[in-house]
Amino acid sequence: MTLHDYFSLSPLLFLLAGSLIILFIESFFTSISSKLSPWISLTSMLAAALSLVYAPRSDASLLTPWIEQDSFYKIASMLSLGIGIATLFLSDLVFKQFKRGRGEFDVLLLTSLMGLILVALSADFLTLFLGLETLSLSLYVLVGYMKDWERSSEASIKYLLLGALGASFLVYGIALLYGAIGTSHFATLSKSYQTLSGMQSISLFWGGVIFVTVGLCFKAAAVPFQFWAPDVYEGACTPVTAFMSVGVKSGAFFAFARVFLLSFNGFHPLWNEGIALIAVITLIFGNLVALRQLNLRRLFAYSGISHTGFLLVAVASPGPSAVPALLFYLIVYAAATLGAFAVICFLDKNEGGVYIHDLKGLSSAHPYLAFLFAFSILTLAGLPPTAGFFAKFYLFKTALEAGQLWLVILALLSTAIASVYYLRLVAAAYTPSVQGQELLSSRKLMFGAACFGLLLFILSLYPDAGFLG
Amino acid sequence: MPELLSLFFTPFITALFSFGQPGMQRRQALILSMIMPILLLWKNGAWIGEKATYAWIPSLSIHFYLSIDGVSLLFLLLTAIVIPLLVLTSPEGNQKLSGYFFGTLFFVQGLLGGFFMASDLVLFTLFWEGMLLPAYFLMLLYGGEGSREAALRFLVYMIAGSCLLIAAVLALYFAVPEHTFAIEELHSTSRWVFAVFMLAFAVKTPLFPFHAWLPDAYTRSSASVTILLSALLSKAGIYGIYRIGIKVFPELMQEFSFLLLLLAVAGTLYGAFAAFGQTDFKRVIAYSSLSHVNFILAGLFAYNSTASGGALLQAFNHGITITALFLTVSFLAERLHSTEFSAAGGLSKSARQLCWFTMLFVLASIAVPGTNNFIGELLILFGVFSLNIWWAVLLGLSLIFSCAYMLRFMHKLFFGPERIKIEDLTGRERTAFIVLSFFILWLGVYPSAALNLIQAKS
Repeated sequence: MTLHDYFSLSPLLFLLAGSLIILFIESFFTSISSKLSPWISLTSMLAAALSLVYAPRSDASLLTPWIEQDSFYKIASMLSLGIGIATLFLSDLVFKQFKRGRGEFDVLLLTSLMGLILVALSADFLTLFLGLETLSLSLYVLVGYMKDWERSSEASIKYLLLGALGASFLVYGIALLYGAIGTSHFATLSKSYQTLSGMQSISLFWGGVIFVTVGLCFKAAAVPFQFWAPDVYEGACTPVTAFMSVGVKSGAFFAFARVFLLSFNGFHPLWNEGIALIAVITLIFGNLVALRQLNLRRLFAYSGISHTGFLLVAVASPGPSAVPALLFYLIVYAAATLGAFAVICFLDKNEGGVYIHDLKGLSSAHPYLAFLFAFSILTLAGLPPTAGFFAKFYLFKTALEAGQLWLVILALLSTAIASVYYLRLVAAAYTPSVQGQELLSSRKLMFGAACFGLLLFILSLYPDAGFLG
Repeated sequence: MPELLSLFFTPFITALFSFGQPGMQRRQALILSMIMPILLLWKNGAWIGEKATYAWIPSLSIHFYLSIDGVSLLFLLLTAIVIPLLVLTSPEGNQKLSGYFFGTLFFVQGLLGGFFMASDLVLFTLFWEGMLLPAYFLMLLYGGEGSREAALRFLVYMIAGSCLLIAAVLALYFAVPEHTFAIEELHSTSRWVFAVFMLAFAVKTPLFPFHAWLPDAYTRSSASVTILLSALLSKAGIYGIYRIGIKVFPELMQEFSFLLLLLAVAGTLYGAFAAFGQTDFKRVIAYSSLSHVNFILAGLFAYNSTASGGALLQAFNHGITITALFLTVSFLAERLHSTEFSAAGGLSKSARQLCWFTMLFVLASIAVPGTNNFIGELLILFGVFSLNIWWAVLLGLSLIFSCAYMLRFMHKLFFGPERIKIEDLTGRERTAFIVLSFFILWLGVYPSAALNLIQAKS
């Protein structure tokens, strides 16, 4: 390894450095760590983002079998860092409101981002697994970060157990694949699949593929592997919920894209049909159950499940436009979800979280936040003229190119169901409240909210995913 | 830069300006709303044939492609006439009347304008669905009692009606070999694609039996929103059927002519019967609008040039007449604090001008010769007659029914023993009525003004 190779890994190293520095300060200078740590994490994330642009590609034989520094990695990592920075802004109010040390929070956030970037970078099942587990391990702790909230500890345990189950599926699948083809490298998957012979290795191979798929479906919260999501989302504090709903989802779909779209593309129609089936069930289940939710964190869990369904539409449709469609959808979904959560954070006054009726009076208390909330929600609903419409448009174009007409029709029908609960949220925000609405105040979060609004606006005016291909 | 873009951007700029000034007065808003009619009159017929194309989303081959033909211009004019009237007459009592209200109104106007000019199918769809949101917000924020439920129901119906539109749009894209969204190059004979488009248009117009959202949405909303829905948004449905149905699916329009005519004729008669049975005068007008709109649709579905020309003319006329009638209703409702017939009676004695104007609008609505609706409905009847005499007979029946319920409307409100005294028209209201009367009479005696536009390119 030369200096050049370290430079090429600099985004990861910056994050690592940031987290170590915070850890150091947290251990020895506890009194100032809460003040300093968000700034240190912000700096390291910005440095990572900057180095992402300029970092050279590595060609060391120690690295290239494990990592793939292509444009997918750059875009996906940029998205991850964006999510990380957004989460920093979102968490500002929680620590004001609940008086908790925040150094460890930032360390865990930085390490989970490292996990995300590692997934986007992976060229081998081992790096992929490493990335996903780094992400998950940090999140097991983050979910239970509010130690004295009963539901938080419960959520953390639940997430740990089910996350471990998902991970074991994944690792078992990897083992079977290795048994079938003798390597865990993505690039050889396709080639080895062509030359597979004998009942035994074919069944080993398929077993492996199915287990890997199930493992990733766990992470992505696709039905029927979604049951952890609602309780965990509800139990975690709001910024963590926001980070999970965009970060973990992105991680799972980076993995899907790495394995099944970029390397092992369209290897067998049966697999695509299976994913299409999961997508349809996920969409219908997520949207129908979301209709009945009153707690916003829980509602976003179910709406997040339905968005998993949409993203699976791209996974089920192999083709050159699948990856840009997936990334564009993730970007729009992340911007809109974080925008909505930014507003929710302003209302988040106790550990139970925010309910739909708490939104009342928002429009008269703060017209801009109400507008941002409505804009974000309508983007999630995919109604024109928001960018959500085009995000869906890309997905469905990809799916039609792959001949998935029924998938498209069922997915579109489910958007009609989704519009009901999304509109209910918007209507609540624009309902006058009898007792008036009091918002928490945070300048940093307000700045973040303005950024989300601007980003959504730009995405809506110029929704071109060309740069993602 | 093509001058066409000024037509597109003006409403959006005025909308932004209004959002920036929450304390905006009606006078300022009125000035802003007059920019569009002035722009349109400035070049008048010379707008026809204007085009503007820019690549917007290259990775999806979507173009920002606007163009104006005679029919677009007709609908743009209708929008430009109705919006200033809405600004002029939006009820004073509503303390929430502000820059937000006017801004949202201009925003709808911009989306409608974009819709009438769009020549790229994705752009067309974008505006088609986009105009729902501001309309929904207007219903939500400025409606009366029960307007929230009505607004939600309206929007969910609309979204359900057009949720498959993306699939249909993409199917059209893949159906033509050159893979384009330019509407003039699209052509398809796929039945399900046709059905998806027709469903979307049928729900918004609405064609019988897709009208379940209409009575509540029309009666629970404030007058401005009701007029927006009935005079402009329902015309978007008609324009859609003309632009997409007739131009992209000519064979299928012909093939399903019988079925569609059946629904339209049933809707015409159903609306008329329902209007006759109401005890609430706002609902009478709501159902009469349903009946008339289905009459127009019958003209489009008859699929010949006489009937479709008449239908487009009648779409314009209906926009004017229904604006006048809903304004009448709202003026009465403000004075009576009720929309029940039982609250009124003998109003002609105290409100003479209101009575005379209403009489003119009622006569226009029942298509008395000399008013605008006469020519339109006559052309539709001619066209339908040449198709099959029985359709024409059934449609003709609705004219008789409309006399019955509209005269009953007139009678119960203005004549009979005087039960209550109300104030006569204020200056503002009179101005709105004079403008509307002018168009009713002008197109009544000189329909060629509009017909020339329709025939300019079709």
